Amino acid sequence: MNHLDEMTCLLYLERQLDRARAQEVSAHTQDCAACRTLMRALERESRLLTRAMLEEEEPLPARLAKFQERAKRSLQWIWGVAFGLAATGAYALYTGYIEPWQQQLEQAGFGGTSLLGLLVFQGAFWKGWQSMVTLLEVIALLTLAGFGAVLFRRRIRRGSALALVLAGFCAALVLPAPVLASETRRGENIAVSHDETVKGDIFLMGNRVRVDGTVDGDVFIFSHDANVTGHVTGDVIAFAHTLRIGGQVDGNIRAAVNTLTVTGSVGKNALTFADYANLDPTGKIGGSVTAFVESLNVDGKLGRDMLIFSKHLGISGTVGGGIQAKGGTFSIGATGEVDGPVRFEGEVAPEVSPGAKLASPVEYKKWEHKRSYRDSGYYIWQVIWSAAYILFGLVLFALMPEFSQEAVKSAEQYGAAAGLGVLVGFGLPIAAVIACFTVVGLFIGVSTFFLWYGALYFGQVIVGALVGQWIMGRTSELWPLIGRMAVGFIVLRLCTMIPHVGFWVKYGAAFWGIGAISLAVYRRLQPVIAPGMPSPPPLPPNTTVGGVQPA
Amino acid sequence: MSAPGTTIPTEAITRAKAGDAEAWGELYREYAPAIFRFCRRALPTREDAEDATTEIFMKLRDKLVQYDQSRSFSAWLYKVAANHCWDTLRRRKIRQDKETEDVDKVPLEHPDANQLERLIEQRTSEEVRKALDKLGGRARMALVMRYYSDMSYDEIADALGVRRAFVGVVLLRARHELRQALERTSALAAGGTS
Repeated sequence: MNHLDEMTCLLYLERQLDRARAQEVSAHTQDCAACRTLMRALERESRLLTRAMLEEEEPLPARLAKFQERAKRSLQWIWGVAFGLAATGAYALYTGYIEPWQQQLEQAGFGGTSLLGLLVFQGAFWKGWQSMVTLLEVIALLTLAGFGAVLFRRRIRRGSALALVLAGFCAALVLPAPVLASETRRGENIAVSHDETVKGDIFLMGNRVRVDGTVDGDVFIFSHDANVTGHVTGDVIAFAHTLRIGGQVDGNIRAAVNTLTVTGSVGKNALTFADYANLDPTGKIGGSVTAFVESLNVDGKLGRDMLIFSKHLGISGTVGGGIQAKGGTFSIGATGEVDGPVRFEGEVAPEVSPGAKLASPVEYKKWEHKRSYRDSGYYIWQVIWSAAYILFGLVLFALMPEFSQEAVKSAEQYGAAAGLGVLVGFGLPIAAVIACFTVVGLFIGVSTFFLWYGALYFGQVIVGALVGQWIMGRTSELWPLIGRMAVGFIVLRLCTMIPHVGFWVKYGAAFWGIGAISLAVYRRLQPVIAPGMPSPPPLPPNTTVGGVQPA
Repeated sequence: MSAPGTTIPTEAITRAKAGDAEAWGELYREYAPAIFRFCRRALPTREDAEDATTEIFMKLRDKLVQYDQSRSFSAWLYKVAANHCWDTLRRRKIRQDKETEDVDKVPLEHPDANQLERLIEQRTSEEVRKALDKLGGRARMALVMRYYSDMSYDEIADALGVRRAFVGVVLLRARHELRQALERTSALAAGGTS
C-alpha cells in the first residue's frame, strides 16, 4: 500500500483539500495505521505549536500599558500649551532683544532690513541669496517641513522623513540659483591688468592680487595682499590680510581682513571684520559702514550711517548720517563732521573736539559690565529662559524619546562625555568655519554651526535630566524623565545664577551635554552585529503535549 | 480566532470609530497583550515587539474608520499586525528568501511518524518557543500567523506575498526547520548532561 505523503496529510488536517481528495484521504486512513499515526503526530505538533505560542509567559510591558493613557487622553492640549509658551517666548525675545536692535539700526540708517538680514543674508557669506529669501522665509519653510513630517509621520517611514527634510534643504539650496563667478584665477601673483575688462564675476586666489582693470561684476578675493585700483561695477568680497581699495567700486565692500584701507570710492556700503580699518582723506563711501574692528579711523567722506563695534573709533572726516557705536574709546577730531545723531556706548566718555561739527551732542552711555541682580527684570528673564529651555527639552524628548534617554545615560559616563564634549564643543565650530571658507561647503558649514549652537542648548537639557535623576532617582520611562529634566534644569539654572561661578557652570554643562549627545550619536552609528535573542521567560511552564512534565 | 478575548466589543468599536478616545482605550486594553505576544513571536527581540505593538496600534487607530464591522475585528487586527511585522523583517533584510515557490521540489515523503511523535512528545512550550526563535523570518512568520492567530491560507498568502498554493509548502518547511531546531536542542542537552 502506498502511504500518504506528509504534505497531503497536513493539508487534510488543515482542511485545505478539495472534497473528493479529502474523502480519498479519509478512506485511506481508515485502513492504513501508519498514515493514521502520522496524522495524529502532525495534529499533536499543531497543538503543541499553538499552545507554545499562546502561553503568556511575558506580561505586557509597562511602556505599552502607557499607550492606553496616550490613547485615552489626547495630548493635543499639551502641544497647544507648548506652542503658546513658545510664541510668548518668541515675542519676549523679539521685544526684549531684536526690536531694540532693529530700532537702533534703523536710526543708524539701516532701515528696511533686520540685523540678521543685514549681517547674514546681505553679508559676504550669503552672496547670491540676498535676492531670494529672508531669514523668516527660511524659518517658515523649515517649520512647514517639520509640521509636514510630524503630520505624516505615521505614513512615512523614518528614512523617508529624513529624505524629505534633506530634499527640503536641497530645494532651498536649488531655488535661489546662486550667482556664480564666471572666472577663477589662481597663482602667486594674480592681476586683472590695466587694460583688461572682465565680464561677469571673478574669483582671485593668490598671495598678491591686483585689480587694475575693469570687472563688470563682483570680485571675490582670497589673498594675503589685495589691491583694487581699477573699476569694479559689482561688489568686492575679500578674505585677505591687507585690502586696499584705491579705485572705484560701484557696489559694496564686504571684507574679513586684517587691514582695510579705502582711498578710492565705494558706491554703496561697507561691511568689515578687521583689525584695522581706515577711510583715508581721499576715500569715499556712498552708503553706510558696518564694522567689527579693533580700530577704525574715518578721515574721508561717508554718505550715510555707521554701526561700529570697535576698541578705538576716530572720526576726522565727514559722516552724512548718524553714528551708533559701541566700544572702548571714541573721538571726533576738529575736522570731523557728523550730520546725524551720535550715540556711543562704551567704557570711556567720548572725546569731542570743540571744532567738530555735530548735528546734535553725542549721547553717551557708560557700559555696565554686570547685570544687576537687584533688577526684577533679570529674574523675569531667568524664568522665561528656564521655561523656554524646559519647553525645548520637552519637545525634543517627546520627538526623540529613545535618543534622549541614550544621551542622558551617556552623560553618566562623566569622563568620556566631558572629554568628547570639549573635543566636539571646540572642534565643531572650527570645522564649520573651515567649511564656510570653502565655497562648496558653505551650506554645510552654516548648518553645522547651527547644529552645534542647538546642541549647546540641548546639552544643558540633557545635563538637567541627569541632575534630576540624581535628585529624584533613575527612571527609564519618558514622562518621569521629562519631569526630572524640568526639576534638574531649574537646579542647574539656579547654579548658573551664582556670581563668578555661574558662567562656568553654564558652559561646563553645555559642553558636558554636547559630549553626551556625541557619545549617543556615536553609539547609534555603530553597526549592529546581530539581533539579540530574547531572554528566556523567568518561570518555564513545563508543559508537554502529554501533560505536565515530571520534575 | 483563538488568541484575544472571545467577546467582540462591537459597541466599543463603533464608539472608537466615532472618535471616542475612551472606547479606543478599551480596545487597546483588550487587544494589546495579544498583539504584543504576536509580535514577540514574530520578531527577533522583545524591543522590536514593543516598538511594533505601538506602531501597529497607531496604524490601527488611523485605519479604524476603514474597518468593515461585518468582518471579524481580531482577524482584521491580526492582518494589520502580520503585514507590519513582515514589513519590519523585510526592511531589515533578515527575511529568509532561500525558499522558492517551486512546488515540485517539495519533499513528498512519508516520514517516520513514531520518530516525529517521540520528538514532540516530551517537549515543553518553552523549548518550542526557543526553537521558534531560531527559525528564519518567513518560517516563523508563517507558523505564527497560522498557529497563533489562526489566519487562513488566503490571508497568509496575502501577507507573505506568495501564491496560496505555496502556503502549505511554507508551513511544512517551517515545521521541518522547527523539528531540526528541536533535534539540535536535544542533542545539545544530551551532550551537556553526558
